[in-house]
Amino acid sequence: MVGNDLRQRVRDKSVFIFSLLVPLALMAVLNLSFGGFDTESVELKPAVVVASSEDSGQLGGALLDAVGSLPVMDVTVRRVAAADVSRETKDTGADLGVILPANFTAAVTSGQAVTVQVIEGDSAGLETNVLISVVDGLLEQFTAGTVTAEAGGIAGLPHEALGGLAQQAAAGIPALTLSEGKASAEQLSLKGTLVAGQTGLFLLFTVGFGVLGLLAEREEGTLARLQSTPVAPGTIITAKALVGFILGVVATTILLTAGSALFGVSFGSPAAVALLVLAVGAAATSLTFIVARLVRTAEQANIVQSILAMLLGIAGGAFFPIEASGFLATLMDLNPIAAFIRGLGITAGGGGVAEVAVPVTIMLGFAAAATLASRLVPDRGVRA
Amino acid sequence: MTADVQTQKAQVLGVKGLVKRYGGRTVVDDVSFHIQAGETYGLLGPNGAGKTTIISMVAGLIPAESGAIELAGSAMTPANTRAKGNIGLVPQELAIYPDLTATENLLFFGRLQGLRGQGLKDRIAEVLNLIGLADRAGEQTKKFSGGMKRRLNIGIGLLHRPTLLILDEPTVGVDPQSRNSILESVEGLATEGMAVLYTTHYMEEAERLCDRIAIIDEGRIQAEGTRGQLVELTGGADRIDLHGSGNTSAAAAALRLLPGVQQVDGGASGLILTVHNGPGLLAPIVAAAGRAGMTLTSVEIVRPDLESVFLHLTGRALRD
Repeated sequence: MVGNDLRQRVRDKSVFIFSLLVPLALMAVLNLSFGGFDTESVELKPAVVVASSEDSGQLGGALLDAVGSLPVMDVTVRRVAAADVSRETKDTGADLGVILPANFTAAVTSGQAVTVQVIEGDSAGLETNVLISVVDGLLEQFTAGTVTAEAGGIAGLPHEALGGLAQQAAAGIPALTLSEGKASAEQLSLKGTLVAGQTGLFLLFTVGFGVLGLLAEREEGTLARLQSTPVAPGTIITAKALVGFILGVVATTILLTAGSALFGVSFGSPAAVALLVLAVGAAATSLTFIVARLVRTAEQANIVQSILAMLLGIAGGAFFPIEASGFLATLMDLNPIAAFIRGLGITAGGGGVAEVAVPVTIMLGFAAAATLASRLVPDRGVRA
Repeated sequence: MTADVQTQKAQVLGVKGLVKRYGGRTVVDDVSFHIQAGETYGLLGPNGAGKTTIISMVAGLIPAESGAIELAGSAMTPANTRAKGNIGLVPQELAIYPDLTATENLLFFGRLQGLRGQGLKDRIAEVLNLIGLADRAGEQTKKFSGGMKRRLNIGIGLLHRPTLLILDEPTVGVDPQSRNSILESVEGLATEGMAVLYTTHYMEEAERLCDRIAIIDEGRIQAEGTRGQLVELTGGADRIDLHGSGNTSAAAAALRLLPGVQQVDGGASGLILTVHNGPGLLAPIVAAAGRAGMTLTSVEIVRPDLESVFLHLTGRALRD
């Protein structure tokens, strides 16, 4: 029965269209739309800053020196008179103009308000935004140093100690060193998330070719004929579920492989990825048992399955990352598509079979719960 | 005693007191009948009479509310897998896979019936010849005409030589030539000893094919017997169909008063009369209808048939 169904699906060709061509096309379109924001593809161009510093103290010069020595981009700081900054910025096509007031150091160290004027160049782009952020960050650090010194003075610390604290704060050296790490799901690049997400989303459509096909068979009369043959109870629905599972696993494997090749993404350990694919295939197939019992016609089944697919797909992060807190976050963690993407994040970050145990457990748990729930739902559908 | 035992052995299907309800509505109400080997038994009734529900229970597709079905000596229920091997079901819909060839369809359903190997291949060749599709065996069935699909639909039901072949309206939507071909195929089955349960709303098919007929309406068997036995129920009366317009109510009232007129019913486009000696009464009937204000466009005398029986039993025409 399974072989017969698979043969028909292959000849029918709709499975190729909906399970492979459409998701690959969507991946390509989404990649074109969002790919520019992928951190891996960002390259900052050299930038020019026109600046004036009539500051009599040291902080003005220190700020401009810091801007000129950024490690992430090549910045040239050209110093001019304050009155010429705006014109020079426009005439020379500089990325940013900066005017530091004459009392900059005095104002910062005394805790007074100070205004630093920045002028965006006519060709302002990503580099200009980065430079403004840098200037802003440096100003905050200077302010933090001043606040620290003032707080120390109030606390009665000696003058030398106050100076040291202020210097430390201004230099941005944190009292606590935080080791930067990444959550497992964040190991996927934007491209990787798109490939994983679209694969998970379309899996939910692909498995519909199995159990939900029974509704079409009922309308066409073949289900009655199947049910009148001497096959053991449960054989028909088991065979259909197996068809959905096989199609889902094959389509998912092809999409991940093709997606990796086309978009330059690596998902890591093949064994761990295979385990994730099998688990998400089981979870998606189990969902069709519920749909098959809830609806009466093939058309209704397609609508309900599409709604569930979009709901689980979007909530699982198929299009963009979704964040939630509290109970909602727990609920979303149980979403098999979210677990699948999270699992691929783990494997992409170097995780193996043991590391994907949690997402695999979530997906298999979902499969068991959905299968059990389908037995409790009153059967309005195929009665197979 | 010996005769009783022989009758028992010959019985393929026994249905007793079958009841089925959907949402409080009784769609099959206390239906009982039996079919013997080599017999073609017809369920004749209009659409919605309950024919398909009866055969769905007989084929083990749905459970009966109450009553019993005995097929080849064992109780037929949806869970009785073994009993289903005795049935060949030909659903009303074209229950074939369009992306498979005729041979692949037969192979698939043959395997589900437990046929294997060379025996299956030989039987497929035999059935393809029987249904006249041997030269198209390798083509996908989506390229077949409606009649060819219908013939394959029947062929699949015959494949495993079932004890009971159930045909549910097998000629619906078929052109006259294909219909005749299908009816000829069914006629041949009884001669092979196969019991056939045939549902239809075409009186001509029931008259041509069936040894015994149950007239069914609103879920109940209204009458059962051979064609001759059923026609006798009408008292051998003729039917006269008066087609026309005008004051049909007054005409009906006037015609009821005529001697020899047993019954007058309203039809879709006129009046239907049940009479003794239709040809002899035709002249006074036409005259009375005209006097009452009915303008006749055509008159038809129908000798007693199953249509008349249905009308006699239910007060409605079979195709209403």
